[in-house]
Amino acid sequence: MTEVVAPPRAEVSVQTIANAAPRMPRSRRRENTVGWAFLAPFAVVFVLFLVTPLAWGFYLSFTGQSLTGAGGGLVGFANYSEALGDPDMWRSMGNTLWFTVLSTVPLVLVALAMAVLVNLGLPGQWIWRLAFFMPYLLASSVVSLFWVWLYNPQLGLVNALTGLFGATPVAWLQDTDWAMIAIVVTTVWWTVGFNFLLYLAALQNIPEQQYEAAALDGAGKWRQLFSITIPQLAPTTMLIVILQVLASLKVFDQVYQMTGGGPGGATRSTVEYIFEVGFTGYRFGYSSAISYIFFAIIVIVSIAQFVFRKGARS
Amino acid sequence: MTPARVPIGSTGVLTRRSVLAGSAALFGGAFLATGLSGCAATAGQSGAEQLAFWHLLTGGDGIKMAGLVDEANADNPGFHVTQTVLTWGTPYYTKLAMASAGGRAPDVAVMHASRLPGYAPGGLLDPWDLDVLAHYGITEDSFPAPIWEACFSGGELFSVALDAHPFILMYNTEIAAAAGVLGPDGQLIDIDSPEQFVDVARKMQVVTGKHGLSYGYLGDGAQMWRLFYTFYKQQGADMTLTPGENVEVDEDAAVTSLEFMQTLLDDTVATASGDYATALAEFVNGESGLFFSGVWELPTMTAANVPMDATPIPTLFGTPAVYADSHTFVLPHQDNPDPARREEVYLFVSNVLKNSISWAQAGHIPAYLPVVDGPGYAELIPQAHYAMAAENLNYDPQAWFTGSGSDFQNFFAENVQSVLLNKTDARAGFQGFVRRLNVLLSKPNPVR
Repeated sequence: MTEVVAPPRAEVSVQTIANAAPRMPRSRRRENTVGWAFLAPFAVVFVLFLVTPLAWGFYLSFTGQSLTGAGGGLVGFANYSEALGDPDMWRSMGNTLWFTVLSTVPLVLVALAMAVLVNLGLPGQWIWRLAFFMPYLLASSVVSLFWVWLYNPQLGLVNALTGLFGATPVAWLQDTDWAMIAIVVTTVWWTVGFNFLLYLAALQNIPEQQYEAAALDGAGKWRQLFSITIPQLAPTTMLIVILQVLASLKVFDQVYQMTGGGPGGATRSTVEYIFEVGFTGYRFGYSSAISYIFFAIIVIVSIAQFVFRKGARS
Repeated sequence: MTPARVPIGSTGVLTRRSVLAGSAALFGGAFLATGLSGCAATAGQSGAEQLAFWHLLTGGDGIKMAGLVDEANADNPGFHVTQTVLTWGTPYYTKLAMASAGGRAPDVAVMHASRLPGYAPGGLLDPWDLDVLAHYGITEDSFPAPIWEACFSGGELFSVALDAHPFILMYNTEIAAAAGVLGPDGQLIDIDSPEQFVDVARKMQVVTGKHGLSYGYLGDGAQMWRLFYTFYKQQGADMTLTPGENVEVDEDAAVTSLEFMQTLLDDTVATASGDYATALAEFVNGESGLFFSGVWELPTMTAANVPMDATPIPTLFGTPAVYADSHTFVLPHQDNPDPARREEVYLFVSNVLKNSISWAQAGHIPAYLPVVDGPGYAELIPQAHYAMAAENLNYDPQAWFTGSGSDFQNFFAENVQSVLLNKTDARAGFQGFVRRLNVLLSKPNPVR
C-alpha cells in the first residue's frame, strides 16, 4: 500500500516547489537527464569493469575455478582457510607491509625537504619543479628497465659510484638483503615528485603575514620552519600519508619488472603473489580469496587511519 | 558557438571543434583504409586458408621462424600463416591457456615440451592424428626417442617437436689452446670427473686472468635449474612428482650437485655474482674460457665473432645426461575445428620441419632426423659437435606446475640461490625446495 501512496506525495511536494518557482521542475528534470547522460559513459564502464569483476571475483573466491576452465564448483571457505594457513601469503603480506613502511617515510620526508628547498626562492624555480616531477611522468616499465641497468652488479652505475668510496660491489636486485631496499629507492625516485608538488602547492598557500609576524617576534628561519611551516602543512601531510600508504600497499609493477618477486621471494608483494597464484599457477578461485583477504586488511587499515585522524583532530 | 560552425579552409582558422572533427574523419579514413587493405590481402590469396600461428620466439630464433613461415607460405598456395609473437614465459602461456579454455584458440602454436603436462590433461590441446602426420612424412622413426616420447601425454601425441635445445658447454678455442686443454682434433679434451673439470677451468683462468668459467644464475631460476638438473641426472638420480603424494627425490645426489656448483662459484673458477647478461658479456669479451649456456646463444657468439666451439656438458658423474627442452607445435583446443584448416596445419608443420636446417643455424638441434642426417648439417660447426646431446636429453620432471617459464623454476631459485651464494647449507636449501613441492602436490590439480 505504501508504495502506491508514496508517488502522489512526492508529486505534491514537487507541486509545492513548482508553485513557489514555476520554471524550476522542468529544467531540473532536464538537468537530471542531461546529468545522467553525461554520467552514462563512466557508469557503464564502472559497472562493466569494476563492479562486475568485484562481485564475480568474490563469487570465484568460493569456487575451485582454474584459469583453464576446470574445477568451477563451489568449495565453501576452503580457499580462505587454505590462504590463512599459507606461509607464502603471509610472507608476501609481510613484504608488502615492509615495503609500505620503507617507502612511505622517505616519500613524505624527501618530498617535504625538496618542496621547502624549492620554495626558498632559488633561482630557476621551474627547472627544479620540472626535474623533481619529471620521473613521475615515466611509465613503470621505463623506470624499471633503466634501474635494472643501474643496479647491474658488474656494469651498473650504482656499483661504480659506491666503488669510488671503496665499497665492494653488491648484487642489488639479486641479494636478499638489498633487493627490497633497491626497489624502495627506485620507487622513491620515481614517485616522490607527486608528493613534492602537493607540498609545494600547500607551502605557497601559507599566508606570508604569519612569517612576517614571526620575524617581528624574532623567530629565526628554523623556528619558522618548525612552528609555522610544518604545522600549517599538517593536513597535506595527512593526505600524502594516506595516498602513499594505499599506493604502496598495492605495489606490483616495479617488483614484477625488476625482480619478479625474487630473490627467494624477498620482494614478493601480495599483488605479485595474487598474480602468480592466479595466472602462472592457474588457481583463480584461490587467488580471488587472497585478494579478498587483502581487501579486508586494506579496509581495516583505512578505518584505523580514519579513526586516528578523528582522534588527532579532537 | 559561432566559431565552431566555421568549416576548415573557409577562413583558415582552426578551432578546437574543427580539429576534433578533422581527426575523427582521419581516424575514420584510417579505419576504412585498413579494412580495404585487409580485403585486398584476402583476395590476393584466393582460396588460401588463413591460419593463425602463435609463438614466443623473440630473439634470433624469432627471425629464423619468420623466415620459415614465409618459406612455407610461398611453397603452399593452399594456406597463409600469420604469426602472432608474444613475450616468452608466463605472459605467453597465460594467453594461450585462456584462448584454449575459451575454445577460440589459434590454429597452431609453439609450446615447450616440458609444459605439456600442464596443458594436455586439462583439454587445452587437441591431439595430433598419427595417420595424417605419417601421410606428411612425420613418423616415430624420424625423431630421436627421448624427443618423441616427450611429446606424448596420456598415450596420445599432443605435440610435434621442432627441435631440442639442451644446456651445453661453450668454450673459447683460443683460450683453450693457450691453456693446453685441446685434444689433437682441436676440440676440448674429454673430461670425466668434477676434479678434472675444475682443473681445466683453472688452467683457463690462468690464461684469461679473470675467470675460467662463466655461468649466470643470479635471479634466474631457469639457469640454476638447468645446470643443477644436468648434474643431478648425471648421477642416475630421478625426481618424480605425483599429485597427492610427497616428492620422490634423491637428496644425496641433489646435495652433491649443489655442492659441486658451490665449488665452481668460488670467484676464481667463476664469479658468484654473475647474472645471465653479465656471464654472456664476460664470455664474449674473452674474460673466461668456458660458458654454460643454452644452444640458443649461438647466434650471439656468431655475431660477436667469438672464436668458439661447443660440446655437450661433459659427463662428470658417470651417467651421460643433459638438461633440455624442446620447442614443439601444438594444436590449441578449438571447440569446432574446421577439418580443411586442420589439414593445412599438418602441411604447414611438416613444411617447417623439413626446412628446419635454417632453424639449426639458430643453435637448436633439429628434432626431425632427416634434417640432422641430411646434407649440410655436418658442416654446421659447432652445431654438429653437440648434436649427440640429443641422445641424452632430460626434460623437467612432469607435473602441472613444471616446465620452462613456470613457477617451478622460481621455487627452485627461492631455495637454492642462497646455497649458490654460499649463505645456506646445500641440504637445507634443497629440503626447502622439496617442502615447497610437497605443498604444491598436496593441493588440488587446477588443470583437470
